[in-house]
Amino acid sequence: MKKFLALMLAAIMAFSMVATAGAASLAGTYDITVWVAENAVDLTKAQIEKYNTTNELGITFNATVEAVSEADAGTQMITDVEAGGDLFCFAQDQFARLVQAGALAKLGVKAGETVAAANVPGAVTAVTSGDTLYAYPLTADNGYFMYYDKTVIPEEHIDSLEAIIADCEAAQKYFAYEMQTSAWYLAGMFFGTGCVSDWTTDDDGTFISVRDTFNSANGLIAAKGIEKLVKSPMHLSSSSGSEFASGAAVVVTGTWDYNTVKGILGDNMGVADLPSFEVDGQSYHIGSFSGYKLMGVKPQVDAVKAAALHQLAQYLTNEACQMERFEALAWGPSNINAQASDLVQANPALVALNAQAPYSTVQGQIHGSWWDIAKVIGDDIKLATDEAGLQAALDNYYAKIDALFQLDTSALLFVGAWNGWNNADDTDTYYLKDNTLTLEVPASDYMGGRIVNPGDWGTDKGFAQVTVGAEYIKDLGADNPDNNIVFAEAGNYTVTLNGTEISIVKN
Amino acid sequence: MKKYSDLEYLKLSKGQKLLYKVKSFFCAIPQKILGLFVALWNLIKNACTLVKNEAVDIWSTFVNGDWKTKVSFLVMGFGNLARGQILRGLLFLLFEVVFIGYMILAGGYWLSMLPTLGTKGPSEEYDFVLDAYYTVYNDNSFKILLYGVLTIFFIIAFVYTWRVNVRQNKLAEQILKSGKKLKSGKDDLRSMVDDKFHSTLLALPLTGITVFTIMPIVFMILVAFTNYDGAHDGYYSNLFTWVGLDNFNTMLNWNVSSGGGSVQSYAATFGEILSWTLMWAFFATFSNYFLGMFVAMAINKKGIKLKKLWRTVLVLTIAIPQFISLLYVSKMFAKNGIVNGFLMSMGWITEALPFWEDPTWARVTVILINIWIGIPHLMLITTGILMNIPQDLYESARIDGANAWQQYSKITLPYMLFVTGPYLLTSFTGNMNNFNVIYLLTGGAPTNPAASSAAGTVGYTDLLITWLFKITQGAESQYYLASVVGILVFVVVALISLVVYNVLPSIKNEEDFQ
Amino acid sequence: MSENKLLEQNASTIQKHHMGLKASRAMSNTAIYALLVAISIIWLIPFVCILLQSFRVESTWQVGYVIPQKWGFDNYINLFKTDFPRWYTNTFIAALVTSVLQTIIVLCMSYTLSRFRFKLRKPLMRLMLILGMFPGMLTMIILYRVLKDLGLTQANAVPGLILVYIASSGMGYYVSKGFFDTIPRSLDEAARVDGATRFQVLKKIILPLSKPIVIYTILTAFMGPWGDYVFAQYISFGTSSGMNVAVGLYRWLNKDQIAQCYTMFCAGGVLVAIPVTVLFMCLQKYYVEGVTGGAVKG
Repeated sequence: MKKFLALMLAAIMAFSMVATAGAASLAGTYDITVWVAENAVDLTKAQIEKYNTTNELGITFNATVEAVSEADAGTQMITDVEAGGDLFCFAQDQFARLVQAGALAKLGVKAGETVAAANVPGAVTAVTSGDTLYAYPLTADNGYFMYYDKTVIPEEHIDSLEAIIADCEAAQKYFAYEMQTSAWYLAGMFFGTGCVSDWTTDDDGTFISVRDTFNSANGLIAAKGIEKLVKSPMHLSSSSGSEFASGAAVVVTGTWDYNTVKGILGDNMGVADLPSFEVDGQSYHIGSFSGYKLMGVKPQVDAVKAAALHQLAQYLTNEACQMERFEALAWGPSNINAQASDLVQANPALVALNAQAPYSTVQGQIHGSWWDIAKVIGDDIKLATDEAGLQAALDNYYAKIDALFQLDTSALLFVGAWNGWNNADDTDTYYLKDNTLTLEVPASDYMGGRIVNPGDWGTDKGFAQVTVGAEYIKDLGADNPDNNIVFAEAGNYTVTLNGTEISIVKN
Repeated sequence: MKKYSDLEYLKLSKGQKLLYKVKSFFCAIPQKILGLFVALWNLIKNACTLVKNEAVDIWSTFVNGDWKTKVSFLVMGFGNLARGQILRGLLFLLFEVVFIGYMILAGGYWLSMLPTLGTKGPSEEYDFVLDAYYTVYNDNSFKILLYGVLTIFFIIAFVYTWRVNVRQNKLAEQILKSGKKLKSGKDDLRSMVDDKFHSTLLALPLTGITVFTIMPIVFMILVAFTNYDGAHDGYYSNLFTWVGLDNFNTMLNWNVSSGGGSVQSYAATFGEILSWTLMWAFFATFSNYFLGMFVAMAINKKGIKLKKLWRTVLVLTIAIPQFISLLYVSKMFAKNGIVNGFLMSMGWITEALPFWEDPTWARVTVILINIWIGIPHLMLITTGILMNIPQDLYESARIDGANAWQQYSKITLPYMLFVTGPYLLTSFTGNMNNFNVIYLLTGGAPTNPAASSAAGTVGYTDLLITWLFKITQGAESQYYLASVVGILVFVVVALISLVVYNVLPSIKNEEDFQ
Repeated sequence: MSENKLLEQNASTIQKHHMGLKASRAMSNTAIYALLVAISIIWLIPFVCILLQSFRVESTWQVGYVIPQKWGFDNYINLFKTDFPRWYTNTFIAALVTSVLQTIIVLCMSYTLSRFRFKLRKPLMRLMLILGMFPGMLTMIILYRVLKDLGLTQANAVPGLILVYIASSGMGYYVSKGFFDTIPRSLDEAARVDGATRFQVLKKIILPLSKPIVIYTILTAFMGPWGDYVFAQYISFGTSSGMNVAVGLYRWLNKDQIAQCYTMFCAGGVLVAIPVTVLFMCLQKYYVEGVTGGAVKG
């Protein structure tokens, strides 16, 4: 409501005064601190200088540019927002934490529109919580693919995980793939078999629902793939390009390691999308995350300074600056136009990243603790001795996600099986944060679900009574032991629990 | 249990003596616990009597005192000024003025906010003209807690000073009545370097300890009763507030209340880490102790040349900061590190040894590497003490035909154990909190998949202190939980120290050495 | 003495015995030399490796071999193009000031607790023992906020660091108290009888005898700031000009930096080790004597 009002008023005022009075009032000199990655310090200084001389608003920034790595910036900001950089760059996985900690200022209406129009959709998703934009996309290259040593891995083997493992074992060379210490790399195996872990945040960065299918039949297939890798004596849980200098023949990492690997392997360097693995005769191409690096504005007490900072952030993440960054540092742009440029299209590291793109999953907002919980799967699988052990690893994962989400809510689970009750692949789980949930029911032959206690999939909670909105559902009643709720028509519904009563309202 | 007299005890054989000692230690435990309660009761009783006596004394000072004394109850230092002790009087007065000024200007506010820790959080506003969001910050829970605690410290200091002021008036009256002269400002200054010299010497160190150690510890303990975390930082995101014992319930509850039945409770995770922490502290302390002593003895041995060289070589490891040397050593033992590479190239192994991958391997490896770090320190410390052992003891032992081992076990070891008893205790507790070694070597790896991970992953080599750090750095920055862990670490360390303190003779009898 | 007596009684037996002793001593000495050489090699390996890495110029990332293929000073030269000199100066200043002030405070504390018998002495020592049992990790957050309110963080981190290092240093009085305990109290009592004040006793009698422990304290205090990472990181809070060597160098180990900065990191490590090593080599004698007095006797 508040947002709507703001939008309305802003729209009205935009025509009346922003154009003249607003623009003029930003003029002035501002002392600011900017946090960027170490290798981007000089370039950023130059870009801010350029902004100072070229902007038409009369803004001058007296900027101190500090090197703070994108991986650390989030933790650092949360420790003490006040001492943090006015502008800071960070990796996407920190986003939700930063929003929750009040360390990111919302984008104004116009800035939001500009960002949404100029960047690829995934990048826009990355900076959005609920319906609100909180940051500016900086790069779109935060993904990974495979570097390999051509002298060890023949070209015809690069599509098969099994063949690569065999080559590595034969040559006594390491296969570096960070399976035990990073959920970011590990998750690709699950995405490859069609599993998902989708988290939804509201406008304040709070997580309201999760759809996670890692613990499923497909998840078990992924676990078997991981098992092949982690149980190989030549597997190395690392994603550092310099491993090539310490006995590795394959390293799965990103564009940032391109120069290092090139320096070590020279002409023997090969890059490729991730391979496929085979389980029960079926082949699964390993997926990946495609993530973004973002630039945030620290919340300000002074509206004028805030507006000026947002101007600068927009400038630093626009097409021209992203191209400069690409030329100087080979950072892949998130800007639509920049991404389409021939130069970017021809960059060898980005070509490899693009080859993996069809199999990658856009990294949305993910609960900070998920990274810690999911990365344990790799270690758990390594310890497993049989299929039951693999399943136990997934159960362990599921129980922890469940316990985690319980920390924030007293919710129940809404388990839906939109394509037939016995088809486990399509079972979706929703958590009812604060006992409400909005869900999209697609059209299919069986649009049913049930409400259960968390961690207790099998049994029905016994909510048969739908008090409000019964017209939208079919209650199978006593004939069905599960008391399933089946939707009569597809659409968007809000499910609310109130004590022992359920209300279902079609939106 | 039968108690032996001294004579009977001496007659016992060696084994019986030991048995007797152990038995009597355990038999004494109930008595000791009882003693603890008695001591506690006495403490409370004494405190009550003290307060009562003080109150009676203050009242009698007021009733019996002259008008100068009576005014001093309100205006501190008035009595001193009126009786000619200008310096003292001015200091008292100044302190009172500063205190009242502080309380009016700031202290009162912090104190009044302490029960709620703030009521109004930050609010985000939208500027229509500029099309920009800005934030209005209001109460700051962190500062309220911090300065609230400081204010309480200040009030205590004021009450104490006021009491001193009252007592001085009484004393001054008595002295004047008996016809003696009061101390002048000059006398006061002289006593500062003479009979009150200890107060002068301690003033600076104790101020530092109060402000930079005690106050933060009090704060840390209080945080355990709040919900201070990343999303409730007290100012920028949300205010935090008192939650009573909730956090202790979370940490100490063995049964996980949430639905996921298979998730390990914090209490179980805590227990696992604690047992490894104790194991680590034991091995780290004693392996270093004995090996360090051995190396020191080897270097000290008569006829060994280049003593300085050997010592310097060992000390080089101290000179390189641990964050550099340990990170390098950690990498050396990696699966594809140079240790494995060397062993493989020599053909001694065909497959890399899992130094950091396997829980047991990792634990043994950190203990071994810790020896590498610890021996130089121990070597330095024990060298001096070894040189202090009277040489005639060895001479006569040699004459009696004692071999090296007998000399060691009969002379060196008992002497060392007696002298270094307190050091062993502090190094044991120090090892329990040995953050650097674990954090830099393994970061806690390998991960323990079963452990509760809502507050960051827990590994097999994690100590309580690294776990605590991980909790603060984890996704939710749960400072309140870290604070609970901190308090529990204190309890464990204190218990161990208490037991050792009561068993080791050399800690109690410090005067023996003088 | 006793040997002579025995000699008179049975010279030949002793002769044999003595020769056997000599032979076995020579043997055990050889064994000890072998052991010491082995230990020295093991202890030096990481140091030598780091040293060699710092001279490796053919690549800047971590490699699987130890001996450089190309030698040079490039890493050291590059080091001076970064903020490293600043970090080094910061640390050096912090170490220098800390070593002076901390020594004063520690000596005040330990001398008082060793020499004076006043009412609160025992409770005070017990209190400090208890305070030492709290893990300091969490109190850093609070200290950081306090220093921030005092304006001693970020660019002004060095005075802030010094303040924190020295503020609680009084708690580390054990070693020097043990030393003072070994100086006979009859010395000061004699001086007191002659009319010296307590202060004069300290200045004229105790301090001249305390050279080893003073140097020991200075040395340990000087070494501390070089390796401090966690707290220094809080205080400098992302501001390069306020960092010490540990925080500054540690940043180069980040995922996106390590491949370019690893050998430079090693070069930095070598430079950091120099002052402490030199100081130790010069003062080794005192260091050993300082602890001799009773390092460890509570």
